[in-house]
Amino acid sequence: MAAPTLLDRRLLIVTGKGGVGKSTVSAALALLAAREGKRVLVCEVNAQERVAPLLGASLAGARTREAAPRISTVNVTPHDAMREYGIMVLRFRAIYDAVFENRLVRYFLRVVPGLGELVMLGKILYEARSEEEGRPRWDLVIVDAPSTGHAVQLLRVPATLLQTVPAGPLRRDAEWMHAFLVDPARTAVAIVTLPEEMPVNEAIELDQQVRAVLGIHRVALFVNAMPVTRFTPEEAARVAAWADDPPPLGPAAEAARLQALRAQHAARDLARARAALDLPTAVLPLVPTPAWGRSEVERIATAIATFDWSAGPGGGAWLGATGGIGGAARPPEDE
Amino acid sequence: MSDVIESLAPRRIAVCVGSGGVGKTTVAAALALSRALSGGRALVCTIDPARRLANALGLASLGNVESRVPQHQFRAAGLEPRGELWAMMLDVKRTWDDLVARHAPDPVRRDRILSNRLYQQMSSALAGSQEYTAMEKLYELATDRDYDVIVLDTPPTAHALDFLEVPDRILDFLGNETARRLLAPALGAGKFGLRLAQLGGGYIARTLARFTGQDALADLGDFLQGFQGMYQGFRERAAAVRALLSRPEVGFVIVASPSAASIEEAVSFHERLRAEAMPIAGVVANRVTPELWPAPTPLPDAADVEAALLARGEPDGALAARLAATLGEHQALAAADRRALERLFALGSTPRAVVPRLETDVHDLAGLARLAVRL
Repeated sequence: MAAPTLLDRRLLIVTGKGGVGKSTVSAALALLAAREGKRVLVCEVNAQERVAPLLGASLAGARTREAAPRISTVNVTPHDAMREYGIMVLRFRAIYDAVFENRLVRYFLRVVPGLGELVMLGKILYEARSEEEGRPRWDLVIVDAPSTGHAVQLLRVPATLLQTVPAGPLRRDAEWMHAFLVDPARTAVAIVTLPEEMPVNEAIELDQQVRAVLGIHRVALFVNAMPVTRFTPEEAARVAAWADDPPPLGPAAEAARLQALRAQHAARDLARARAALDLPTAVLPLVPTPAWGRSEVERIATAIATFDWSAGPGGGAWLGATGGIGGAARPPEDE
Repeated sequence: MSDVIESLAPRRIAVCVGSGGVGKTTVAAALALSRALSGGRALVCTIDPARRLANALGLASLGNVESRVPQHQFRAAGLEPRGELWAMMLDVKRTWDDLVARHAPDPVRRDRILSNRLYQQMSSALAGSQEYTAMEKLYELATDRDYDVIVLDTPPTAHALDFLEVPDRILDFLGNETARRLLAPALGAGKFGLRLAQLGGGYIARTLARFTGQDALADLGDFLQGFQGMYQGFRERAAAVRALLSRPEVGFVIVASPSAASIEEAVSFHERLRAEAMPIAGVVANRVTPELWPAPTPLPDAADVEAALLARGEPDGALAARLAATLGEHQALAAADRRALERLFALGSTPRAVVPRLETDVHDLAGLARLAVRL
C-alpha cells in the first residue's frame, strides 16, 4: 500500500506562528477533503472561531455543527471537553453533575496542571478515532491548532503525563493518546508560515520541536500569502526611479516598488524555509482582499490542489498516483 | 508619530501586550532600543518561547540573566547609543524555583516542593505559568535593578486577557480552599507519600480518584501541603506585583496589526485595562499598508498610467497596465487597513503610533532603529 497522502490520515494538525493563516489553510484543506468525498471535522482549540465563518457558516460553539456539505466544525473548550470526558469516564451523567458541576470541584479541576489541555486533546483524539457502524465517524479530523508555543504545550501533555503521573485512569488515557499522536499512519503535522524573516525562523524552530519534543510525523509546509513576481529586477529598478513623480505615475510606481521589494524578500525567505525544512512545500498566493470569506478560501484550496508538489523534497512520492490532491486537473467547484 | 515614545519617556516599565503575530516582540525591542539610543539604561525582557528577540537583536541566544548588546553590534548597524541596551529571556522553571526558595520556611520544605512530581510538571504544563512568572520576574527586576526602563514582552496568548487573570488563577491553585477541604483529613497528618486511604475517603475525593488515580491525587495533596506555609508569601507578592502594575511609572503598550481578530483583542484589552485602572501608555498599529492615493479621487487606470509614461518619454503599455493593477491592489489593502484602524482609534485620546509595513522585516538592530523612529 502506498504511503498515506496529506488528507489520508485520521488527524491533521495545522500549526504555526500567530497570524500566518492557520485557520484559512485549515478551512481550505477541509474543502479539499470534502471534495474528495471525505467527511471532515475541523477542531478549533479554545479560540475565537474563524473556520466556520470562513466557510460562510455561523459559529459552531462547543457542539459539532455542519458548516458546509461533509464539513463540520467545533470549538473545543476545556470546560465542555471536561464535561464530556467526565461523563464518559463516570458513565453516569448524574454522578458527573453531582460531583463535577459542583462549583468548587470544577474550579479545582481547571487548575490541575495540564488537565485542561489533556481533556481538549482527548476530545479531539476521541473524535479522530471514533467509529460508527464499523467505519470512522470522520474520515479526517483537522486541528486548527494554537500558535507555536501553545501548540507544543498542548500536544506534549500526554508525553508529560506519562513521565509524571503514576498508574491510573489518567495515565491510561495519556497512553493511548500518545500512541495515536506519534503514529505516522494516523497523525501528521502541517506547518504554516509566511514568507517573512520571523515567521520562517519560528517555523524552523517549530519543526525542530515537532521532531525532537513531540515526535509527530511532519507532512507539509504551507508558505502563505506569497506575493507574485510581477516585475523583473530591471523593471523594478526602472520603476523605483519614478516613485517621486506626480500622480498618477508616482503613486503607481511606489506601489510597484513596494510590491517588487516584498516579492524579492518573500522569495529569499521562501528559499530559506525550503533549505531548512525538509518538507513538501506548498506556496499559497497572497490574496489582496479586504475581507476573507468562502470564495477566498476556495482560491487557497485551488492553489493547494493544483500546486506542483513534485518541486519540493519528497514531493512526488507524497502525492499518490493522481499527481495532485484530489487530482490536479480538477477545477474548483462552483459556488 | 513619536507619541508613544514620548508617553513612555517618564515611565520605568513598559508592558507590551497584544495577540500573536502582531510584532509585539519587535515593538518591545524597538522601545528599549530607543531609550538606549537616547542615553538610558534599557532592558527588554521576553517570555516568548520562540526566542525571537535574540534574533532581532543579533544575539546568538538569550538566557535568564540579562546580557548587554555589545557595542560592535551597534557599530555594525551604524548606531551610536548613548545608553545601554540589555536583553534577557525569562526561564519559567528557574523563576519558579527561585520563588519557592524565597518563600520556603526551611530547606526541607523547599526540597520537598522542588522534588514533587506535580511541581516539576507545573512550570511547563500549568496554563498561565509563563504569564505568572513573567510578572514575578518583572517585579524582581523593577525592585532589585537600576534600569531606567524595563520593557516586558508578553507571551502570545490565545486570549490577551488571560494575562491579567492568570495571577489570581495560580494563587487559587496554590491556596485552593476546595482542594484543602477535599484533602483536609490528610493535610493535618504531616507525612509524605499520602495514600488515598488517608484522604478521608469522602465521596468527592473517591470520585476524583477515579479520574486521576489515587497516586496523582496524593501527589496533589502532598504538593498543596508543602505550599501551605508559603501561600501567604505568594499572596503578598502577587498583591505587590498587582500594585506595581497600577502605578503611573508603568505603561501598557497595546500592539495590534490591522487584522480583524487582532483589533478585537486590542479593543477588549484596552477596555479591560481601563476598567482595572491600569495605566495605558499607547496603542501601536503595526504593519499598516500606507495610503498612496488620495481617497476621493478615482484610481488611475492603465490608460492614465500609460499616458504619464508617454509624457515621460518611456512608452510601455504592458508595464502601465501592471502598474495600475498594482496600485489598485495596494489601495484595496490600504483601505481595508484604514477601516480596521478606525475601530482601534475610536478608543479615545490614548497616544498612538501607526507603523507602516516596513520594506524589510525587522530582524536586526538597524531595522529596530527604523521601527523606533515610527513609534
